[in-house]
Amino acid sequence: MRTGVFIVQANEEGLEGVNLHAVELYAANLPHVEKVRNLGVRPRLDPLALAEEIKASGLERVVIAGDSPGFFKPVFTRAMALAGADTDEVRLASFREHGATGMGTPRAESIVACAVYGVPFPLAARPGTTATVPGTLIIGGGVAGIQAALEIADAGKPVYLVERQPTIGGHMAMFDKTFPTLDCAACILTPKMVAVGQHEMIDLMTYSEVEDISGSPGHYKVRVRKKARHVDIEACVACNTCSEVCPRSASSEFDSGIAARKAIYIPFPQAVPNAYVLDEASCLYFESGGEKCGVCAKKCPKECIDLTEKDQIVEFEVGNVVIATGYDVYDATKIERYGYGKFPNVITALEFERITNASGPTGGKIVTKVLRHNKRKKVDEWVLDPEGPPPNRVAIIHCVGSRDAQHNPYCSRVCCMYSLKFAHLVREKLPEATCYEFYIDMRAFGKGYEEFAERIQAEGTYVVRGRTARIVEENGQMVLKGEDIVQDRMVDMPVDLVILAVGLVPARGSDRLAAMLGIARDEDGWFSELDYNSDPTDTERGGVFVAGACQAPKDIPDTVAQASAVAAGVLKSVNTGRGLDSRADLSLSEIEARARSLARV
Amino acid sequence: MAIRVNPKLIDELEVYGAEDVQNCYHCGNCSAVCPFSKEPYIFPRRPMRYLQMGLEDKLKGSLEPWLCYYCGQCSEECPRGAEPGETMMSLRRWLTSKYDFTGISRAFYKSGKVELFTVIGAALLTALGFVLWAVLRGGDINSYDGPNAFLPAASIHIFDWALAGVLLALLLTNCGRMWWFTLGRDKQLRTPFWLYLKKLYLLPLHFVTQKRFATCERKRPWAVHLALVVSYLIMLVLIMFFLDLMWSGPEIDWRVHVFGYIATVGLLGTTIFALRARLKKAEPLYAHSHETDWIFLILLIFAAFTGILQHILHRVGFDAAANVTYIVHLMGVVPMLGLEVPFSKWSHLAYRPLAMYFSAIRAEAKERAEKEAVEPTLAAQPVA
Ligand SMILES: Cc1cc2nc3c(=O)[nH]c(=O)nc-3n(C[C@H](O)[C@H](O)[C@H](O)COP(=O)(O)OP(=O)(O)OC[C@H]3O[C@@H](n4cnc5c(N)ncnc54)[C@H](O)[C@@H]3O)c2cc1C
Ligand code: SF4
Ligand code: SF4
Repeated sequence: MRTGVFIVQANEEGLEGVNLHAVELYAANLPHVEKVRNLGVRPRLDPLALAEEIKASGLERVVIAGDSPGFFKPVFTRAMALAGADTDEVRLASFREHGATGMGTPRAESIVACAVYGVPFPLAARPGTTATVPGTLIIGGGVAGIQAALEIADAGKPVYLVERQPTIGGHMAMFDKTFPTLDCAACILTPKMVAVGQHEMIDLMTYSEVEDISGSPGHYKVRVRKKARHVDIEACVACNTCSEVCPRSASSEFDSGIAARKAIYIPFPQAVPNAYVLDEASCLYFESGGEKCGVCAKKCPKECIDLTEKDQIVEFEVGNVVIATGYDVYDATKIERYGYGKFPNVITALEFERITNASGPTGGKIVTKVLRHNKRKKVDEWVLDPEGPPPNRVAIIHCVGSRDAQHNPYCSRVCCMYSLKFAHLVREKLPEATCYEFYIDMRAFGKGYEEFAERIQAEGTYVVRGRTARIVEENGQMVLKGEDIVQDRMVDMPVDLVILAVGLVPARGSDRLAAMLGIARDEDGWFSELDYNSDPTDTERGGVFVAGACQAPKDIPDTVAQASAVAAGVLKSVNTGRGLDSRADLSLSEIEARARSLARV
Repeated sequence: MAIRVNPKLIDELEVYGAEDVQNCYHCGNCSAVCPFSKEPYIFPRRPMRYLQMGLEDKLKGSLEPWLCYYCGQCSEECPRGAEPGETMMSLRRWLTSKYDFTGISRAFYKSGKVELFTVIGAALLTALGFVLWAVLRGGDINSYDGPNAFLPAASIHIFDWALAGVLLALLLTNCGRMWWFTLGRDKQLRTPFWLYLKKLYLLPLHFVTQKRFATCERKRPWAVHLALVVSYLIMLVLIMFFLDLMWSGPEIDWRVHVFGYIATVGLLGTTIFALRARLKKAEPLYAHSHETDWIFLILLIFAAFTGILQHILHRVGFDAAANVTYIVHLMGVVPMLGLEVPFSKWSHLAYRPLAMYFSAIRAEAKERAEKEAVEPTLAAQPVA
């Protein structure tokens, strides 16, 4: 079949690591390829001219190759129709979809080859299988890791769950309510956390990090460093005696830094494992090299505090690895114009989650920070006091760090919805307060989400189209400046509390994990799935899966669904004793030969 | 009223320099950071929208582009790289070509080559004309002033006034068209004559002080621009009213020449600054250069240098060389004024103050109309 290959580019830079010129040369040498042409960056195509070109070369099949070639399918289909050719023979060679990002030129070439032969790439590039041992390592104990662990363990297969925080739960444990149902987050999550803690098939390692993974699909050797917790998990009864006597405090990670915790502490009362942890970095005993303090160890009624404990290394072998490391939020200090860090009452979404949470530092009361004199340090400080003044005007700013060429280009997907949730919580707790949402586009994409958005608006939240430009201070009052583009007015509005709907970024340390496992990340740093549409849970590496927000920003329902899908993939290999090999190891000639035989050319 | 949409408008604007309009997703950042964007003239986002929608007539009637001084804050803060500042600049070019009824402006903006050739042609014609005229009337190449002068000051003076008259006529016609597009043809807007009188003071005020420009956070572009305008005005006054004094010599006549020197330093300094900045893309204002910008600067610097040179040559007594240099000087000045003032970049010296004047009239007329009509709506209405 006489074939023409047309290459399109989404931007000047092209895909990282893909040499388009080499791809052109390669394509030109494939059988039946009559014509190869690079159409350039985001070309404006004229179907008539294309039709002429198709006719002139007598093409019977065209392949559109590039970053997102689907954009051009309509115009090519039209051109084929005009040229009197079969419109079904417009084939896409999508580099991004089939993971050419990070896999380089040979991958792009094999994607083009499959399209030229008319064979779906995932079919030709299906890796073989390999013997697999039963254990599964799950990295990250957020809702994704928890869900996958329970699914696999409930099927009777062994799981090692490694979480670097002292407790599992991830971000969801910090929330009060979840959109769009406004269910209590803890009511859903806590039972699952407890189940993980008690499960006989789950070896839970908190306060631990994976140091190294070696081996091949089906047989991965894992080395985990269990950081010294200094508290015996089994013996600790969480009586809080140590915390009470501890003289040192630090800001609480779990409360996103808006409250303090002691050097020996429990992140939150429902933590799993339900035991205290001693943070060496803030502890006086460790700071003084063992000279001072140590009072917690003396006072602990169960004698479970061991100040001499050292980090422990454990090693084991697994057949499959699940990455479920989730996300961090965008650092709002990078966007100066919103004044985060400068104005005490400009806070991030995670901080608001803690403020509005009944188990948070204010007991769920939404208040603004007040200036207080700290007698001990002899300075004035902004403090969060549960009895402090509630805000009268609350502004929620969408897309902070997202959809912005200067920050992150992508949409973080959950911010619109959690912002609406915040508006509801503000209006519910402070009916007198006015709440404004400043948005660019309202992304209410899920089941029941649009209805949720409508409901929040109906409750009386002011929804203003136009992202805020800046927060300034005028005569001691915070003022928000922006444009209301629907009303065609400038917005110049005094506000008491500003909540920044910060976007999501890959969890810190993802780069190291990717290198260790030999899997790719996309240009934004999220782990790349094997195939965008057909294998969204596998990766290029056999036996390595991705679940939850570490693959791309997503909400809880999607996270849980993906985690369960991962469990299905894992169980398939564990039950049959054979799992998929790495697609990354397939060579260009192997894929091409396979495509050729499938196409029978 | 039916609204005509020109779907190709956004593509047409590309030749005027606006390339990234399509990127805009209307977050309103730019309008909010813009120090000039005040109700009822909210920009640059609104013009971006008009462009995306192809509302050619609305754009033709809008004054906003002239209210922008390209401090570039909007482009810097745009999350989409849509270059709103550059779009406003391109709109000014586009509007210039729309106000101009001859179509010459449009041809210049569409193709730098056309402008370049026209400039060269005008320069050659100028040279030819003056040389022919001097030779025919028996001027002495070795004499710069006096009765036998190759080019007598008095005749040049007449030529200057004639040129000024033609330019003014062209420019005023274009200004008239600007008025028609922005105020005149708007039937809904009632603009009584006294309003025009009431706001008339704005015209000279803005023309001379450029004071709106000073609102920018960055003061340097304003200072440079002011220096350029003041130098230019001084030069204009000297040439139009004191040419004979300027011309006499070889002694330096400090009464006029001192002003000449100040103006020359101003012109040269600002032009060199602008050239360097454009080459280095120093500030947003200078980051994108249209072909017309280069031609303009090169003509300016050419005129300044040849002007200085003929002045020196005359003073040191090389009259023949001074005469030749003067003709070369005219080869720069005549195209610069004759083409740039009515058709290209320099026309903004009229359009900008006019826009300030018209916009004040328009705003007040609107306000009066609104007061008579309904209560204004609140910003940010709840969706109930
Ligand atoms: C402010 C806010 C409000 C939200 N509200 C809602 C809502 O109402 N409803 C909803 O559906 N979604 C909501 N979301 C989205 C929701 O948080 C995510 O969908 C969900 O948390 C994703 O779960 P996860 O397990 O993939 O990631 P995470 O919750 O981030 O969990 C990842 C876990 O992995 C651990 N980890 C990371 N790296 C490593 C490593 N190298 N080694 C070991 N462990 C590691 C982390 O410590 C963490 O415990 C909200 C998000 C934000 C920011
Ligand atoms: S030893 Fe460390 S953790 Fe224990 S009480 Fe002292 S400071 Fe606190
Ligand atoms: S800042 Fe950029 S994206 Fe936002 S409205 Fe202005 S031009 Fe459009």
